[in-house]
Amino acid sequence: MANLATQFFGLELKSPVIAASCSMTGDLEQIKKLAKAGAGAIVLKSLYEEEIDTQLQEELSQRKALEPDPEYLDYFDYIIKDENLKDYTGLIRQAKQAVEVPIVASVSCISQSDWVLFSKKLEEAGVDALELNLFLLPANLEKSGEANEQFYFNTVKKVLEVVSIPVTIKISHYFSNLAAMIKALSETGIAGISLFNRFYSPDIDIQNEKMISADVLSHASDYLLPLRWTGILSSQTSCPLAATGGIHSAETAIKFLLAGASAVQVASVLYNGGTEAIAGMNQEIATWMDAKGYDKIDDFKGKLAIRDKHVALYERAQFMKYFTQKDF
Amino acid sequence: MEEYLKIEREKEWRVELRTKLKNKERTTIERVQMPGLDPIERIQYQDREVNLGLDEASAITEASRCMDCVNPTCIEGCPVSINIPKFIKNIERGEMHEAAKTLKETSALPAVCGRVCPQEKQCEAQCFYTLKLKKEPVAIGYLERFAADFEQNSGSISVPETAEKNNIKVAAIGSGPASLSFAGDMAKLGYDVTVFEALHEVGGVLKYGIPEFRLPNRVVDVELASLEKMGVKFERNFIVGRTASFDDLKEEGFHAFFVASGAGLPRFMNIPGENFNGILSSNEYLTRVNLMNAAKSEFDTPVLRGKNIAVIGGGNTAMDSVRTAKRLGAERAMIVYRRSREEMPARVEEVLHAEEEGIEFLNLNNPIEYFADENGRVNRMRLQKMELGEPDASGRRRPVVVEGSEYDIPVDVVVVAIGVSPNPLVPSELPELKVSRWGTIEVDPETMQSSIPDLFAGGDIVRGGATVILAMGDGRKAAAGMHQYLQTKQNNLVSEPSAIKNAD
Ligand SMILES: Cc1cc2nc3c(=O)[nH]c(=O)nc-3n(C[C@H](O)[C@H](O)[C@H](O)COP(=O)(O)OP(=O)(O)OC[C@H]3O[C@@H](n4cnc5c(N)ncnc54)[C@H](O)[C@@H]3O)c2cc1C
Ligand SMILES: Cc1cc2nc3c(=O)[nH]c(=O)nc-3n(C[C@H](O)[C@H](O)[C@H](O)COP(=O)(O)O)c2cc1C
Repeated sequence: MANLATQFFGLELKSPVIAASCSMTGDLEQIKKLAKAGAGAIVLKSLYEEEIDTQLQEELSQRKALEPDPEYLDYFDYIIKDENLKDYTGLIRQAKQAVEVPIVASVSCISQSDWVLFSKKLEEAGVDALELNLFLLPANLEKSGEANEQFYFNTVKKVLEVVSIPVTIKISHYFSNLAAMIKALSETGIAGISLFNRFYSPDIDIQNEKMISADVLSHASDYLLPLRWTGILSSQTSCPLAATGGIHSAETAIKFLLAGASAVQVASVLYNGGTEAIAGMNQEIATWMDAKGYDKIDDFKGKLAIRDKHVALYERAQFMKYFTQKDF
Repeated sequence: MEEYLKIEREKEWRVELRTKLKNKERTTIERVQMPGLDPIERIQYQDREVNLGLDEASAITEASRCMDCVNPTCIEGCPVSINIPKFIKNIERGEMHEAAKTLKETSALPAVCGRVCPQEKQCEAQCFYTLKLKKEPVAIGYLERFAADFEQNSGSISVPETAEKNNIKVAAIGSGPASLSFAGDMAKLGYDVTVFEALHEVGGVLKYGIPEFRLPNRVVDVELASLEKMGVKFERNFIVGRTASFDDLKEEGFHAFFVASGAGLPRFMNIPGENFNGILSSNEYLTRVNLMNAAKSEFDTPVLRGKNIAVIGGGNTAMDSVRTAKRLGAERAMIVYRRSREEMPARVEEVLHAEEEGIEFLNLNNPIEYFADENGRVNRMRLQKMELGEPDASGRRRPVVVEGSEYDIPVDVVVVAIGVSPNPLVPSELPELKVSRWGTIEVDPETMQSSIPDLFAGGDIVRGGATVILAMGDGRKAAAGMHQYLQTKQNNLVSEPSAIKNAD
């Protein structure tokens, strides 16, 4: 049978299908199931500084009724963070004991000091690699694009200074010159980049004229955005790429490998099809490879990455008549 | 309650006293200043009280500032609803013992509360002067202390009357303010009360936490003696859960328990380098100094002494630690607090006293890492500056990191005073006891009864971290709750042979 081994997170992975960071990967039982299903790696649910702050605010608002002493309120400033870190490092230790597959921790912070602190603590807990879930919604009118970009470089630099395990980043596509940005980031010493994170999105309910949450899970066509950029960038970056977003089938996963991704990260498919979805994808990728006569991933990885002949195909954007077969 | 206050207010002497001075005259009197030891002198001594207390004349003058309002809002500010105008008016007319008695109607430890309550956030914040006149409030705390001290010093302390002994044994676990007030009330009701204390000294935080320069031990000892006279027994060096279990105590005939084991488990920030030598919790620091005589040179423990001492936190514990550090000879004794002075939880007076004593305040600073010399002794700390952002859910402005503001300062002792968690021993011994995520015991707020019917709890083990007065109030509520519970139980058992009274 075809060999599905690949490399990402600076690690050898047995499969290119990675369980992406999501609520499932924050639970030990699910982690065991994902390992059993053959995930190449498991990225734990992100540890969010912002979430810790939200918890703090909740705790503070509940305390009012108890006629609190502010000394006790100050206590939560430190303790909630500490407890969250302890829970998270506890999960890492348990997961490392329970499964063989590489365990990757995911962090998302606001302040540089917490990026540093959290990264150190997670490394100490024995995680195999770190994924920095880096995101700034570029909605601040006062901040320049350059300042936003600086946040990414500063954070990567700070974290790389304090940890020695491999560090990868997961980013969005909100950059004015996406290709140049990703290329520059790939040269910072990181072990990989995952394109692109999926976020909570607001939507509107027209019946009740209310803001609501858009679908949390991705749609099968969402993969087109990361596919283009994987194709454009995979042969030009200094570190490997992984793709995420709308990868719901082995077929889509194979497209990404052809476009040059070293691995794919999946989440929605796990909610739709259970952890077993990974086993199915591994099986189908292998079957396809066998049918195509590929022994290993490297035999076809990047076959359709941007090359001179593909530039136009990846970079065309407007629906000019010239590109379409049918008349719309 | 309101009715009672009204009746008291209409007593002849109060009516007459009100006519003695016009309110206009009362409001022109300046608030009294608390006489205190000179800062330069006082920092030489760990055991000399800073505040000296009011003399009789100035207490009477201060008492006459109080206008004996129709609607005494100050009482609403007091967690145990002391009849404040009544005790103050008693001082004004020179009836000091009556004033002390009024305090004791609701407060078990007035000499303590007069010294350590955050009055500026409680009664004095609700005083008519503060609310309406925008003037300095009547010095309720000073007056409380005056009346309580007057009684203590007079030598004729009234030991409260106790009901006929009912021989029902009840236990209090811990000997802090919650337990002491519980024990007092239960003894009054005729119960046979034993207080179990893990340490060799009775008094809880009042003894091992709050230093003598703020609360002399003798003030607490007078209260303890009074409880002993009422028949309360104290078992020292007795850890419930280790020396004996709850089951052992039940076998010995205890019918109900009041758990007030406090919040003595120190917390750290868990930042890199926090394990180096020379970094300790405020709990350990203060306990060593207060109970183990570490301050005296023959017990010199180098761990505690340093040239540059940083104390992390902004509460009373932090102030007590940093002022202790100064008294142990630190050249630079610093407070490192991540918010600003305005958000500091410490009593305003402590912050003022600390400033007078030359304590440095590094407010809006947060430690992020410690470094050590080749022997593993801390020698440097990295701080990060903070600024204040939007208000948080507690209404205080939240501290936000100033990026790129890290800097290092030399330190040789660091005292971490960011808070304490509940003592886990008692809850861990009783798996069926309901506790919160934070390890505090969950109770009915009226009766202080826990999920185990014969177990009541109060003070810091229920609130996480609170104040002496709240702990004391809990003890009183628990006493009432437990009495009710035991009575009901007894009434239900009268027809059965092993009625509760005969159980032992
Ligand atoms: C340094 C410091 C300064 C403070 N300053 C002020 C102030 O200025 N004003 C104010 O209002 N509040 C102040 N506080 C807070 C206040 O002291 C506490 O809220 C209060 O003492 C709580 O009372 P408690 O009875 O619940 O417990 P504590 O006073 O903590 O007493 C609990 C006792 O239980 C004992 N114990 C624990 N477990 C067991 C066991 N298993 N068996 C037997 N015994 C056990 C402990 O040894 C301890 O003596 C301060 C606290 C500290 C630490
Ligand atoms: C319920 C849910 C929770 C998620 N939580 C995180 C997270 O904590 N950190 C993160 O980096 N991505 C998170 N993601 C994004 C996924 O890791 C993944 O990158 C994204 O959903 C796109 O993949 P998909 O189309 O296979 O779902 C989450 C996604 C889902 C659906």
